[in-house]
Amino acid sequence: MSHAPTALHGNHACALGAIAAGCRFFAGYPITPSSEVAEHMSRELPHVDGTFIQMEDEIASLAACIGASLGGVKTMTATSGPGFSLMQENLGYAAMTETPCVIINVMRGGPSTGMPTRPAQGDIMQARWGTHGDHPVIVVAPASVQEVYTQTIRAFNLAEEFRTPVIVLYDEIVAHLMETVSLPAKGKAEVKDRKWATGAEVGFMPYAETDDLVPVMSRPGDGHRVHVTGLTHTPDGFPTQKPELADRALRRLVDKIELNRDRIDEVEEIETADADILVVAVGIVARAARRAVEMLRAEGVKAGLLRPVTLWPFPEAQVRNAAERASVIVVPEMNTGQLSLEIERLAGRGKRIRTIHRIDGEPIGPDEIAQTIREA
Amino acid sequence: MIRTEIRLAGSGGQGLILGMHILFRALGLEGKHAAQSQSYEPTSRGGFCYSDVIVTGNAADYPLVTHLDMMAGLSQTGVDRSIGLVKPGGLVIVDERLVPEPPKSGVRLLTLPIMARAVEVGSPRIANIIALGALVGLSGLCTRHSLEEAVRRETPKKFADLNLTAVAEGFALASAGTGLAHGDGAARPPHVVRADA
Amino acid sequence: MNEMVRTLEPFEIKDYLRLQLMPHFMCPGCGHGIALRALLWAVHELAIDKNKLAIVSGIGCSGRVGAYIDANTFHTTHGRPLAFATGLKLARPDLTVVVITGDGDCLAIGGNHLIHACRRNLDLTCLMLNNEVYGMTGGQVSPTTSANRLTTTTPGGNAEPTFDACKLAEAAGASFVGREVTRQAMALKNVIRDGIAHPGFSFIEAISDCTEIYGRKNDLGESPEMILSQKSDMRPEAFGNVADEPFRPNRLVTGILAKQARPEYGAAYRDYAVRVKSKPGRPR
Repeated sequence: MSHAPTALHGNHACALGAIAAGCRFFAGYPITPSSEVAEHMSRELPHVDGTFIQMEDEIASLAACIGASLGGVKTMTATSGPGFSLMQENLGYAAMTETPCVIINVMRGGPSTGMPTRPAQGDIMQARWGTHGDHPVIVVAPASVQEVYTQTIRAFNLAEEFRTPVIVLYDEIVAHLMETVSLPAKGKAEVKDRKWATGAEVGFMPYAETDDLVPVMSRPGDGHRVHVTGLTHTPDGFPTQKPELADRALRRLVDKIELNRDRIDEVEEIETADADILVVAVGIVARAARRAVEMLRAEGVKAGLLRPVTLWPFPEAQVRNAAERASVIVVPEMNTGQLSLEIERLAGRGKRIRTIHRIDGEPIGPDEIAQTIREA
Repeated sequence: MIRTEIRLAGSGGQGLILGMHILFRALGLEGKHAAQSQSYEPTSRGGFCYSDVIVTGNAADYPLVTHLDMMAGLSQTGVDRSIGLVKPGGLVIVDERLVPEPPKSGVRLLTLPIMARAVEVGSPRIANIIALGALVGLSGLCTRHSLEEAVRRETPKKFADLNLTAVAEGFALASAGTGLAHGDGAARPPHVVRADA
Repeated sequence: MNEMVRTLEPFEIKDYLRLQLMPHFMCPGCGHGIALRALLWAVHELAIDKNKLAIVSGIGCSGRVGAYIDANTFHTTHGRPLAFATGLKLARPDLTVVVITGDGDCLAIGGNHLIHACRRNLDLTCLMLNNEVYGMTGGQVSPTTSANRLTTTTPGGNAEPTFDACKLAEAAGASFVGREVTRQAMALKNVIRDGIAHPGFSFIEAISDCTEIYGRKNDLGESPEMILSQKSDMRPEAFGNVADEPFRPNRLVTGILAKQARPEYGAAYRDYAVRVKSKPGRPR
């Protein structure tokens, strides 16, 4: 499966993962700390007959990606907080039109220009709720360079399988971290492609209600001559404002994620089976938490870690289960409280929750988490 | 492999990140698991900057610094803002001119003419590699051969000779400073060098 | 294109429309229908396969026009159709991509995308329907609203200067720039046809009318009066019937305003890729 280990930065691993997943179009705009993704894509894409373009802003970048994806090509863009804010408009369009695309958001200190070169986890909620209206979205949160590679591939697979934008959310540290990773041999990564419509040129329903709630896609030129719109639309693709039809269309959008969770959820659990103190963390903070758990286990403390790898939809059942067994839940995060909102919602009444929040641009280290656990 | 944490600290533009890429690569050549990270300020030049390498036996280990085993400092700010992370008795190398006020106690300090040597043998731009050479020479993190091979792989061809000269200068400084430098790279812990500046 | 010799079926607009969507939503007297007809007529004359035609539109009255076309139609976000079209065309050079946009969509919220699309010179055709107003949202001032005109957000008359969209496009590098009025449907068809046939970025401004909102608010009359006033805004020599109208001084210049041979960006990128691929020692 894997060949010789390679030393890569997170952002480089992201680009290589995208290429391995079949990404053949990238549109982006320079922004710290994600620019290296674009730089690597600009080098890689011509070699695989793909296209790279630097657009005039992040709005145009995601628009171009969606345009290319509607043309039948797997696409990706990469950005950070300020650019991610600009992308929210077209993120909603991709969700509404069910256009597969992958958005890399390398989190940096915010709000506004914030601290461009410092890590943060302030976009956890923006990734879920950033665009207006109820909408489906999948967010994956890698914690290592190896995982940036594998989760970028998985992000493409999920985008294709569920016809939805997928966000890969990591932070400045993981982006610029250099680690040794194992890459699968060329062409050996597991890659999924969207279902294409064939035949039935007359009466084709571009948003038909299929069994798994994911409609097949029509490729321009194949004769279906489909209409794509960000307006609420019926299975034929054309706009509607009839309440019952609008309700049906929008519920399917949400349900196609919720009812397919068995194919979307992914969590990593370390020593949670008997954990009395449960740490829930994502990304780089989860790696500090993992070390803290190891330190405390050595001290005889029954600590465990639950790490959402698929961050959205949130792994509600998994968190509920682990939380039920624990007496205290510790939530460290590089923001003033986003992940902890979900934990508070799911933990159940009377459960003690200890949170650690850092917004100073410094990572939360193992000692800080271990100390909180000891005091819990 | 016992977890070892190493930092190169200074200001932006000194090649600190490149220096640690080279160390990362050298460790990789010896089959050692490592993680390399850095912190920098938004400007391309100046400002507090550092680059770290963690050597660890476990790929899933926390990849960032918790307690430094050793560091080299090429600016006063770089040293001042990193010194609190150095383990008691950890090795600290500083440049004699760029760090006029080195830490007074608690660490094994070695003050070296890194920048002066860099200017004399070619360019102030190789101070990073001289500092790295001295660190490796003193600590035996990897062999000199691995470090030189990593320099060849990580730096542009036209600067290879200059950078290899820098490695040699670093090892010479280490050896002159202590008489105990591990020129052969035997994996021994850093020796006590000088108790004060 | 005029000298092109081809046996064509007569143009029948119903062959190019999604008739199931009729009646359309456009107001009585709206000029956009004329522009739509001119576009489809041009498509017909160029014998473009509907399956290979992509219409990308933005938001506003102009944005809704595309849905009536029996082709691959993309109704995108406000101001962004050129950016969507850029991705689509780069990914699918085999498609003929026409953007339908409006004065607000193209010049206000989409102004940045317009100038960069002109600069790149990708083989797109941008048809901007200029009715001088935001019609869909109820009649607010736009970047092309004439001086002193009343809109819902200029209750005392418009005090802002306007864009000359064609000059803007030309200055930004569009390799084909044209303008026509809906009053001259045949001429509009010709300039759209030549724009689509042009290899590179074509910018075409179609002067349209908003009679229901803009016309009424400014006492510009009903559709016939507004259409006639388009004519009076133009160069008399463009019509050849100087005597029948009291022309205003040469405000509006029409026809093909600029045309230059510049490298088409899609082809340029593909050439670049070939060069990069042929170089030994692929970077890793």
